[in-house]
Amino acid sequence: MWRQHLLKINLPLPLLSAGLMLALTLGVTKSPAEIDWFDVLGEGIVLLVAILWLTLIISSRPAGRVTEWLYYGSLLLVCSFFLDLLDEFIRYPAHIRTMSWLESLPAPIGMLALTYGLIGWHREQRVINRQLQGRELLLRDHRLLDPLTKLYAVDYLYAVLARDLELHRAEQRSLSLLMLNIRQFSAFNRQYGAAAGDDYLIKLSELCSSQLRASDVLCRYVGDRFVILLANTSLQQAKIFAQHMQQHLTKLNHHESNLKIDIVVNEITRLTAKQALQETEEMLKASKAGIAPSVLLPS
Amino acid sequence: MTTHFSFTDKNLLLRHGPTAVLQLAQRRGGQLHKLLSGTSIFEQDLMNPQSRCHHRDWLKLLSHCQQLQSPELPFLLADSVLNHRNIALCQSIAVAANLAQSLKQLCYFRHQLLPALYPKIKRIDNKLMLSFKPAIALGVQQHFISILAISFLVKLIRQQLADSSQLHVLLKQATPANEQLFKAHWQCQVSFNQQFDAILIPLAYWHQSFADSNPHRFQQYRQACYQLNQRLPAQRGLLEHLQRQIDRALPRQLGIEDAAALLGLSCSSLKRLLQQHNTNFAAIADEVRRDKAHLLLLQGNYSNRQLAEQLGYSDEHNFRRAFKRWTGMLPSSAKALTPISF
Repeated sequence: MWRQHLLKINLPLPLLSAGLMLALTLGVTKSPAEIDWFDVLGEGIVLLVAILWLTLIISSRPAGRVTEWLYYGSLLLVCSFFLDLLDEFIRYPAHIRTMSWLESLPAPIGMLALTYGLIGWHREQRVINRQLQGRELLLRDHRLLDPLTKLYAVDYLYAVLARDLELHRAEQRSLSLLMLNIRQFSAFNRQYGAAAGDDYLIKLSELCSSQLRASDVLCRYVGDRFVILLANTSLQQAKIFAQHMQQHLTKLNHHESNLKIDIVVNEITRLTAKQALQETEEMLKASKAGIAPSVLLPS
Repeated sequence: MTTHFSFTDKNLLLRHGPTAVLQLAQRRGGQLHKLLSGTSIFEQDLMNPQSRCHHRDWLKLLSHCQQLQSPELPFLLADSVLNHRNIALCQSIAVAANLAQSLKQLCYFRHQLLPALYPKIKRIDNKLMLSFKPAIALGVQQHFISILAISFLVKLIRQQLADSSQLHVLLKQATPANEQLFKAHWQCQVSFNQQFDAILIPLAYWHQSFADSNPHRFQQYRQACYQLNQRLPAQRGLLEHLQRQIDRALPRQLGIEDAAALLGLSCSSLKRLLQQHNTNFAAIADEVRRDKAHLLLLQGNYSNRQLAEQLGYSDEHNFRRAFKRWTGMLPSSAKALTPISF
């Protein structure tokens, strides 16, 4: 992340050095007896915290408008706090007001800029939250994410499924489960390499999540198997959705790969989360073996 | 050249695993410089096909990769290594005539691929049990490396015999939350909380011919493996060396002086080396006898007196006491349980 901010990393040092030079030319250093060490401690800590903010902004934010506001706001605060700390060591003649202005003015301006940046951050977060809603229904925990596809992994699926089953049962609504499986995925991996396989999984997950409603949850179940939880959806609706998905997924097939994707649909009525997933897996196995046709017509 | 290796012997080619795991980790959001931090591997080394690393770095690399919270990593790594076109050993075992030839080849050249584990093969009824034990102390990475080795074999069998449903995998680790991951990748029976990390292969698989069998290419790849052997000679891990010596000496109990002499070390050097592996000689000797007791119980109906004799205990009471210490139960109740899960 920090590579995007080379200018921002290099800026504070010359700025603060300039402040120090100016202070040294205008004023005279105090003798140790005159220094109030409590003030130094307090102002020093404030300065350190402001520098920490600046570092956090640089290390965690991508380059962009909101980041600029946050950065320059914090930078002004750092400058102000720095000069504030300097005047504990340097005494300025009473008739020169420059340093006192330089010390007091940047702080409120910096605060305003920082606040404006925070508002921008808040807006940005709202948009991101909306985008994530389909994926992130219940809780936020990065340990539950699959690092490859950035989808939620199976632990999360269990938690969501258990909760949704109870809710849907209480309100007597229907809940459907879609399980996708890539046929012959290990052979594909073997032929084209693990990188191509990973790439395919990422594309597949992106394509699937683009087709979801906000209330649906897409999870990577295991390996080449994905599960979509369709809230408030009957079996009939889920079948239509699955057919739509199948058609949509044909876009994925490019010249070298012609992978087939099996999709099975299961409406869950009485079972627990674990049983429901097991039952759906059995259906998938039957569909792969050709005993029961998958809902999707092979293209 | 010493015959055994420890943590800092550079006997692992980077292209035989570390490079593949780094590529997998990078696609899962890991940053190369962070994955390599604290190891003596540099980015340039990854380009050089002859670069090697030692096990301290390899274990560190694995622990960095595991921070990515991707439980499928050992399964995928096994897949990538198995199908790697530049690893002669992997190519050779895929074109062998059958599983018997393939595993023989793999066992002979295993130090080229996974020197951190050593296999033991035993026949139990109509199955062969291939169990894996750490050849050097692997610490928390032991589960990862065991899964890697077992996954490698299961994938080989599935690719060549198109069926793995008759296999049975035993794992020491407790039942994990993501149990279905194991079943989905291996498609065979998996039991957790076992005494061994092992795979049970039915004898029927042993001589079924491989789908890609090609005697001519097998010879070519075998030749390449022999050539690699000149640069990567067969060295065994310190723990493997010791455990084999202790096992061979049974029912006589090997003393630490004898063991040190066999390794060409002084007694104190051996003690110091074992300290690096967080263990001591008595613990290793105990482990060997425990494993042997479990194996004998699996293999047949021995009386406690016979077991005590074979394991070098002075009488059966001492054996019963030791067995209770290992498993929390008496040998008789262990025998009554099903053959596999004690």
